[in-house]
Amino acid sequence: MPLIEAKDLVKEFRRVRPKTGAFSTVRTLFSRDFEVTRAVDGVGFAVEAGELVGYLGPNGAGKSTTIKMLTGILTPTSGTVEVAGVVPWRQRERNARNIGVVFGQRSQLWWDLPLRDSFRMIGRLYRVAPARYAQNLDRFVEVLGLASFLDTPVRQLSLGQRMRGDLAAAMLYEPPILYLDEPTVGLDVIAKERIREFVAGLNAEQGTTVLLTTHDMDDVERLCRRLVLIDHGRVLYDGPVAPLKEKYAPHRELVVQLASPAEVVVPNADVVRAEEGRVWLSFDPRTTPAASLIAEVSAKYEVTDLSLVEPDLEGVIRRMYLEREG
Amino acid sequence: MLWQLRAGLILLGGAFRATAQYRANIFSNMAAGAAFQTVGLIGLWVILNRFGEVAGWTMSDVALMYGLRLTAHAAWAVPLNQLMEIEHQVREGLIDRYLVRPVNPLVQLLTGRVRLNVFGDLAAGLILLAVAASRADVDWTPARLAFLVLAILGGGMIEGGFQLGLAAISFRTLGTSEMRFTVDTIFNLYGNYPAKIFSVPGQIALSVLPVAFVAYLPTCALLGRDSGLPLPDWAGYAAPGLGLLIATGGYLFWRSQLRNYQGAGS
Repeated sequence: MPLIEAKDLVKEFRRVRPKTGAFSTVRTLFSRDFEVTRAVDGVGFAVEAGELVGYLGPNGAGKSTTIKMLTGILTPTSGTVEVAGVVPWRQRERNARNIGVVFGQRSQLWWDLPLRDSFRMIGRLYRVAPARYAQNLDRFVEVLGLASFLDTPVRQLSLGQRMRGDLAAAMLYEPPILYLDEPTVGLDVIAKERIREFVAGLNAEQGTTVLLTTHDMDDVERLCRRLVLIDHGRVLYDGPVAPLKEKYAPHRELVVQLASPAEVVVPNADVVRAEEGRVWLSFDPRTTPAASLIAEVSAKYEVTDLSLVEPDLEGVIRRMYLEREG
Repeated sequence: MLWQLRAGLILLGGAFRATAQYRANIFSNMAAGAAFQTVGLIGLWVILNRFGEVAGWTMSDVALMYGLRLTAHAAWAVPLNQLMEIEHQVREGLIDRYLVRPVNPLVQLLTGRVRLNVFGDLAAGLILLAVAASRADVDWTPARLAFLVLAILGGGMIEGGFQLGLAAISFRTLGTSEMRFTVDTIFNLYGNYPAKIFSVPGQIALSVLPVAFVAYLPTCALLGRDSGLPLPDWAGYAAPGLGLLIATGGYLFWRSQLRNYQGAGS
């Protein structure tokens, strides 16, 4: 049985349609004319225990709304969710003990209290046995490097420090499920890497099931084996990362540096970009092996340097979104 | 239930330590609370000294009622004062985090911060009540004392139940602070005087609303006076039960409205 299962999930938001013209404010106040937005429109997927799934989509696609229904914050308009056998919004308190939640945009910690104090309160609220608590805290302090700011009030922490604190707080009671909503947003490269390492470790060592939303494709490439892509509240793709790349980005690129600028013409490859003697050639590896293309180019032109570029996920996703819009 | 209480105490401890980080604030708040209550008491003293008697009620009778009402007010304001934060927290999406913790969201909202000025209300109410009770023409049997305690809790639950219900409307992202302020003002303005002094439509309104049940009717019952309202004599004794009913209704409404919480952002 899957650990997280969502079926035909729909969430509609209703708000009064604003009026324009004379007395618009007063008329809006008494209006019964509602505007309904479907933020999530029939989303369904299942996550097995131990998976690390990337839940992706452009801004406004319905990612956060889905996560909020999975965590029990929002009640869906229709559809069902079961997380570890619990309907999140009906049994919030039971659900809360099964999940860790980290929202990149908003801290779960107590703003005016030292980090250590927030941890202690979390430990008591989740009834973690004292020995277990001390053991977990020690481990997180070491792995996440919290020692230097453990006694600093949360409001004085940097974003990277705060995120690490939030992650530790979400895992202190060892929930089997961890939801991460944009955990690396606004962080520097080193802080991002530290968080990725931690999440990868949780998944690999403790078998924590992780559902991650992010706009950072490096997060996904580094962490996720499976993607669920949504847009306009619907699932566009659900599956492993590699086939997605093959489907949406079948072409590779060969970048060659010429000794002197020249017009490059080779069969089976298109010039997609050229500047100051550097030429980007796009080709299909299924029909044109890279080796033969390199040989062909080297024979016709004087090449000083060359490199092969793998398609990155960012380009794949961009192409998917564009295709969808068009 | 026991767990909610324990969790509430854990959270309250945190709130207290957080408040203690702003020491100057604590003292200025306590001073403000004390000043506010002192002004209120002086106002009452002036009125009673000037008139001596209102609708056949002597100064000590009115003081008993005022003390009962002030204590009942504190009985809801002390635990429920954080309801005033609800609009802000709904609009900013701060309720989110209450919903992913293993504690009742209302308990978390109420223990989010410690406000010391409401303890000023409580102290003022208790002092006035103690003085008035000793001077009033009541034979304080254990049964009457027990009823006084029940009346205070019942009055608190009547006002608190309304406040909780009104606050719950905020989950539809509507502003409710004006409504709550208005209701509180009605209870403050009309709850502190013998309802007898109003005309018949006013009396009916106060019975229905039910402002008269907070302090006036229980005080009538204690003093053995006729309330003069179109209600049976035992109405005063029913006040605590009515309080329980209204508080329960307020809480059930709160729970039903929580479903409408929409969070902030997408």
